[in-house]
Amino acid sequence: MTLINLSGIHSETYRELENDELPATGESVLVSLGQLQENSTSIFELTSSVGVIVNTETPYADLEEFVGRVAFVDIRFPVFGDGRGFSLAVRLRKDFGFKGEIRASGHVLPDQALFLLRAGFDSVDAPDERHEAFEAALKRFGAFYQTDMIGHGKSVAHLRHSADKDKSATQKAG
Amino acid sequence: MYAYDTFDRNIIDARVAEFRDQVERRMKGELTEEEFRPLRLMNGLYLQLHAYMLRVAVPYGTMSSKQMHRLADIATKYDKGYGHFTTRQNIQYNWPKLVETPDILTELADVEMHAHQTSGNCIRNTTTDQFAGATRDEVEDPRPYAELIRQWSTFHPEFSFLPRKFKIAITGAGQDRAAVKWHDIGLILRKNTEGEIGFEVIVGGGMGRTPVIGKTIREFLPEADLLSYLEAILRVYNEQGRRDNKYKARIKILVDALGAEEYGRLTEAEWHKIKDQHIDVPEEEVARIKAFFTPPPLPVLSDDVEEVDTFARENFIFKSWLENNTNPHKVLGHVNVTISLKPHDGIPGDATDAQMHFVADLAEKYSQSEIRVSHEQNLILPHVAKKDLPEIWKALDANGLGSANVGLLTDMIVCPGMDYCALANARSIPIGQAIADRFDDIRRLQDIGPLKLKISGCINSCGHHHAGHIGILGVDRRGEENYQISLGGSGAEDATKAALLGPGFDEHGIVDAVEKVVAVYLGEREEGEEFLATYRRLGPTPFKEAVYDAD
Amino acid sequence: MAKKIKGPQLIIANRLDDGRVVFMTENGNWTPDVARAAVADTPEGVEALEVQASTSEKSNLVVDTQAVPAETGDAAFPAHMKQAMQAKGPSVRPDLGYQVSKTWETDAQEGN
Ligand code: SF4
Repeated sequence: MTLINLSGIHSETYRELENDELPATGESVLVSLGQLQENSTSIFELTSSVGVIVNTETPYADLEEFVGRVAFVDIRFPVFGDGRGFSLAVRLRKDFGFKGEIRASGHVLPDQALFLLRAGFDSVDAPDERHEAFEAALKRFGAFYQTDMIGHGKSVAHLRHSADKDKSATQKAG
Repeated sequence: MYAYDTFDRNIIDARVAEFRDQVERRMKGELTEEEFRPLRLMNGLYLQLHAYMLRVAVPYGTMSSKQMHRLADIATKYDKGYGHFTTRQNIQYNWPKLVETPDILTELADVEMHAHQTSGNCIRNTTTDQFAGATRDEVEDPRPYAELIRQWSTFHPEFSFLPRKFKIAITGAGQDRAAVKWHDIGLILRKNTEGEIGFEVIVGGGMGRTPVIGKTIREFLPEADLLSYLEAILRVYNEQGRRDNKYKARIKILVDALGAEEYGRLTEAEWHKIKDQHIDVPEEEVARIKAFFTPPPLPVLSDDVEEVDTFARENFIFKSWLENNTNPHKVLGHVNVTISLKPHDGIPGDATDAQMHFVADLAEKYSQSEIRVSHEQNLILPHVAKKDLPEIWKALDANGLGSANVGLLTDMIVCPGMDYCALANARSIPIGQAIADRFDDIRRLQDIGPLKLKISGCINSCGHHHAGHIGILGVDRRGEENYQISLGGSGAEDATKAALLGPGFDEHGIVDAVEKVVAVYLGEREEGEEFLATYRRLGPTPFKEAVYDAD
Repeated sequence: MAKKIKGPQLIIANRLDDGRVVFMTENGNWTPDVARAAVADTPEGVEALEVQASTSEKSNLVVDTQAVPAETGDAAFPAHMKQAMQAKGPSVRPDLGYQVSKTWETDAQEGN
């Protein structure tokens, strides 16, 4: 698997914890939301470098208590058509102001690269052979009809009436 | 009409290139069919019974002569010389090859048309009143708002993988010709007491297995807030709509589960969080889009035209056509002409390449090069001067398009059914044709008066049978086609669900049943009373007795 | 173990590149000519056809392969209405579709 960088963020390496396992002191670890909910005190005592894995079903409110403390959130797509993952990322950015990394893992398609980026994802964990297709998909569109709530850019409707109109009409995303 | 700028042009070109790449990757096996299917569907490409089917959007039902000519050319070059206009103001081609669809899309993009989101679990083509911007009973032209929605919903990063398809309809007229209450979101343009424009917002309507009439969650939404409000509705749905069962995945099920009031509350709460985040477009943008829809400068003429009256006295069909197929225009002395795509022996909604060229030519001559498509599967020439009507009708009649049946029993909505559709349980078109055969006399139709008959080949209800004054649903009964009849539905402002009358019939029995229902109406109606009103007054009993007891 | 079947079956599919309806022949080729469709009437036979069909699907020749009930009178033909419609073309346009396959035959190639 290759980590595909959507947003230019610097991704750290995290080790995924087994069930009930605790991190070594200062270790960068990835834990499931369930595990974090159970052992948050001990985990955060041992390390401040924690990533949390959530599935697309997770109500965004369940993440509120952790957003200030985790370094990144890994949203696992059981199937690429599960659009809840996109709203979850939007919520993290918009409702909680989460500034850390958001990663998509599981089943996502290269053709979703810009949707992911624009919904607030920074990176994708995807099979090696799809890397090229992801890179190509990222360059596909230069302007968008929606304002991204994550600060990547103005919508076409705003660009049409702003000073940087000409520049942006031809520029690529990101 | 809206015209693309560089932004729109770049986006549509990029989309065609993307789809070309997706098709290539599929042919090389880099994408599995399972992965490719949703990607092709988001570009309107289905695999049906006989071949692929490409559904092209006619955004909010408005197109130019140039665009219609191009649709005809595509039918000739890539298909078998015809297309099918649908209840979603789209046109479907029944025989395109997968490997040629990128070329078709290139030709469409060339005239600012596309197949974006005409299928898939995303926001579909926004539909509206076929007389928008041209009819006398209108508060405001809904098309600029439909164009705003088209842009906002195109490749939405968050709402391209919804639990299920999502349909928005909007009307600006007193009379609802867009069936807005039957949509996932229905919008009705209103003016408040200060004279400001806004929308009544209705959610959770839909047909299918569980027909539901939408409920109002906001009486008046200021026009400037439209997109942020839609975004709030969609976010709640995307997060909470069911994904475990595709028959329970539409917003109507969620609205029903939560209650419309609660859905409204969740929407309002979300909307208050996002309404100042520049989701809505700047005022200048609304003005820019509205400018494209400035009404054409028509001279005010008299509504009484001597030549028209004289010809109507001489020719009964023209007289009926005048009565049924024309709608009063905003500007005196003008009308909007509906061209019936339900000729006797025809296939409802189908048009040949030659007919498409012909209609495009007529539009150039008589209707400011503008053509509309209605959800009732007809074509419209807006802004026509009344004095031109005899000439237009003669030309239409000479080309097999002079049928005077608009709004009458044979102006049916009929879905493709098992003749084309992979999901069908029964054929629809032959039933429509058999009914048209039985009622082929315009004098008889005229006497029966306004009656909306709608046929679907399966419970998906593309033929809107739930909203038919008479609705027919094809079912599969132990491998045989069987047809159920329902009565009393309406897709208009007084929307109601049709009620099943009783057991189904075979393909001959259903035609007899329709005839018996009509006979009850003719026997029981009061002076000037239309079919639906009689049914509502009497209830189902006399109809049931006539249809079932006589056997 | 092969599942139970109700009577003879044939394999119907759509060709990937043009969507055209095709049937699988004895040697695993695909033909628009339904009369040449391979028919199996034992569970094992049907399973063998299905395995062969899924190979074609994996090599991106055809999609939506299905084993469907067949009639085996003079020649093989789908027994159910929907696949019979696929074999013939739309009933309301007898001038089109495969029942008048002339225009299709010229450019038809059998997958291999
Ligand atoms: S109602 Fe059913 S048969 Fe008719 S077009 Fe829709 S899905 Fe096909």
